[in-house]
Amino acid sequence: MEASGVFFTTYAGDRSLVRTRPQWIALSLLMLVLVALPWLAPERWISMGYTIFITAVAVVGLQICTGYAGQINLGQSAFMGVGAYACAVSVSQWSFPLPAGLLFGGAAAAAFGSLFGISAARIKGFYLALTTIAAQALFHFFVLNLPSRWLGGPGGVSIEGIAIFGVDLANDTAIYYLTLVVLVVMTGGAFGIVRARHGRAFEAVRDDDVAAGMMGIDVTRTKVRAFLVSAFYAGIAGGLWAVALRHVSVEQFSLFSSIWLIAMMIVGGLGSIVGALIGTVVIQFAREAVTTLGPSLSQAFPVVGQDIVFASMNVLLGTVVILFLLFEPKGLMHRVTSAKQAFRRWPFPY
Amino acid sequence: MKSATALRYAAAILTVTLAGAFAARDARAETSYVVPSLSDFSGPFSSVMPALGGARESVIGWWNADVGSKIGVKLVMKAYDTRFDTAQTASLWPGILAEKPLVGFALGGPDTAALQQRLPNDKVVMLLASASNGFGWRPNQWVLSMRPTFVHEQVGFIDWYQKTKLGGKRPVKVALVTSEASPSYADIAKGITAYAKANPNVVELVEVVFAEVQPADLTLQMRRVTNAGADVILAPASLQQAIAVKRALQALGKKVPVAFSMHNAPGFIAKPMGGIESLEGDYETQSGVIATNEDTEAKRFYDMLVAKHGLKAPWHGITAAGIAQTLLLVRSVEAATRRNGPAKLNGEMIHQTLLDTPITGASLFGYSPDLSYNISAPFPVYNPKVNIGVVKDGKVTTAASGYPIPKLDRW
Repeated sequence: MEASGVFFTTYAGDRSLVRTRPQWIALSLLMLVLVALPWLAPERWISMGYTIFITAVAVVGLQICTGYAGQINLGQSAFMGVGAYACAVSVSQWSFPLPAGLLFGGAAAAAFGSLFGISAARIKGFYLALTTIAAQALFHFFVLNLPSRWLGGPGGVSIEGIAIFGVDLANDTAIYYLTLVVLVVMTGGAFGIVRARHGRAFEAVRDDDVAAGMMGIDVTRTKVRAFLVSAFYAGIAGGLWAVALRHVSVEQFSLFSSIWLIAMMIVGGLGSIVGALIGTVVIQFAREAVTTLGPSLSQAFPVVGQDIVFASMNVLLGTVVILFLLFEPKGLMHRVTSAKQAFRRWPFPY
Repeated sequence: MKSATALRYAAAILTVTLAGAFAARDARAETSYVVPSLSDFSGPFSSVMPALGGARESVIGWWNADVGSKIGVKLVMKAYDTRFDTAQTASLWPGILAEKPLVGFALGGPDTAALQQRLPNDKVVMLLASASNGFGWRPNQWVLSMRPTFVHEQVGFIDWYQKTKLGGKRPVKVALVTSEASPSYADIAKGITAYAKANPNVVELVEVVFAEVQPADLTLQMRRVTNAGADVILAPASLQQAIAVKRALQALGKKVPVAFSMHNAPGFIAKPMGGIESLEGDYETQSGVIATNEDTEAKRFYDMLVAKHGLKAPWHGITAAGIAQTLLLVRSVEAATRRNGPAKLNGEMIHQTLLDTPITGASLFGYSPDLSYNISAPFPVYNPKVNIGVVKDGKVTTAASGYPIPKLDRW
């Protein structure tokens, strides 16, 4: 719902993503802060920044599949892995330029992910969740058992001397800007998808796939498309991860990572692209905060012992996540929307 | 006049005294270096981390007091919880790097994956307590392990067993239990299979059992390998696999010796197995020290750390590994300080020192054989040795010390 007095007289205005001047100002300020961050903040913030950006790309993809299309996906980390390996192999062994390598990673992950979309046509709920867990097992199995010269076997694949448009990506600041640009593009793309007929089809299938089918939506194709898009996002994120670390190995993409991605989406709020971004930032910041606090506390109170300090930090992290889910099960985005509506209606309660 | 002269003398004496005091202070001044200690207090190794972390802390404390203070270097250990997670390590690293470390403690695969490509640029040496891997056997590495690969350690045991227990008369029949869930464990299978293929006179590999890392039961698999006549079963992977192998053998009533590694040594699995007696005749094989109760230099050093430097961890393989890893770290700093002075050490000096200077087993109090690194591998690739412990009369005792490992080609 728009604020009172906000209306558009043109089609372009009606379909705009950023709708009001305050929204433009807020977005510009955010972008300014993000662009200036590497100059203003310590090194740690830069690496936190690109870790968050890469994770956010994967969570936005998951949001499209699970939040919009209602298809449970516990294999997002495996899809990231497929993208990472495809990007690393194409760049390091086939000499692809990096943008092509990233797209190839996305495409490879999308192809792998759409296989699970086909299974989603016949099964749903817990059964689908179990099927997507198989993606993790298959990914591990293939990487470890295919000939080592293909995917490096247990040793993984390393990338040497990587650059994009002449910019050397061997430093954290360059990675930061690359991942920021990709996140902005992918987020814009996600908004485009969910506002278009595909997004509406996703929501229709999520709400009632039988009714969606009766309305003329091709349910099978929609589900496959949801997985394909989600896995493509994961593949791009995986490619970025390979670029950031310059090394890919199978253990980086575990089921546990997939669960963290789902936690980020739920904390942010299902069915919202901005929610996916907020959830990623909040969870990643919480994780980074406890990790940062631990060493300081451990040094300040050596008598307590490292094990107790770090264990307490993780209990704190778990508590924060549980509190979020208890007090705002619809996600932080719901709270943000409620606050925005209340602000717009003020001083009236309804 | 007299008072003016007296004042001049007093001023001169004061100046000399102050200068002397400042000079003495400078002589005592220590240059501090941060040593990042990558730890896992909330991941798969959280149960062993207190022992490993405690050992690292106490050795650093001992070295600062007894050695560092004399050579003008103080090491300040700072622990970071990486959760044994590549993403967390990658995210933490630039912050760690801002503290300008020279050398630090690594934990295993995730650290190596996250850092191995950037460490040559960042110029920080990381030292591993665990064994190395075949896939990490590459030149110019900055994550260095003090033990050779798991495969080296197992091959050393196979060779020893064949020569001493079978008199070298026939190949030893071996079954290997490992997993495909982890690259390190999958690598063990690859390496042992390659060795068996190349040395049919020494070893006959009856089966490689791929099980889950935490298997519920391995009775069927153990029945298969015992029926195939395995002389010995290698279980170098997880703690849970080691326990499952022993339980399966108990259930089948078979007495086939099992060889474990450092992280799942008999000392660890004795409790869940209901006592060390159930492990009679089983082996521990690794290049680090075997944590026996024999009066060794290593044990005496451990006792000293407990008595004087607040080490609380019990005497077992993990504590010994933590002590060994830290001893290597402090000895490398010590050697680099002797070559370059204490004030301006950097990671490159430490790396070069490790490549150029052999670290003697004596300086490591017997926690490791002599260590000589070179650019071709991230572990002491020439003349690696293995120590073998055996459970005898309810105690872990030394079966072989410093047994030379046969030369292995990369697999």
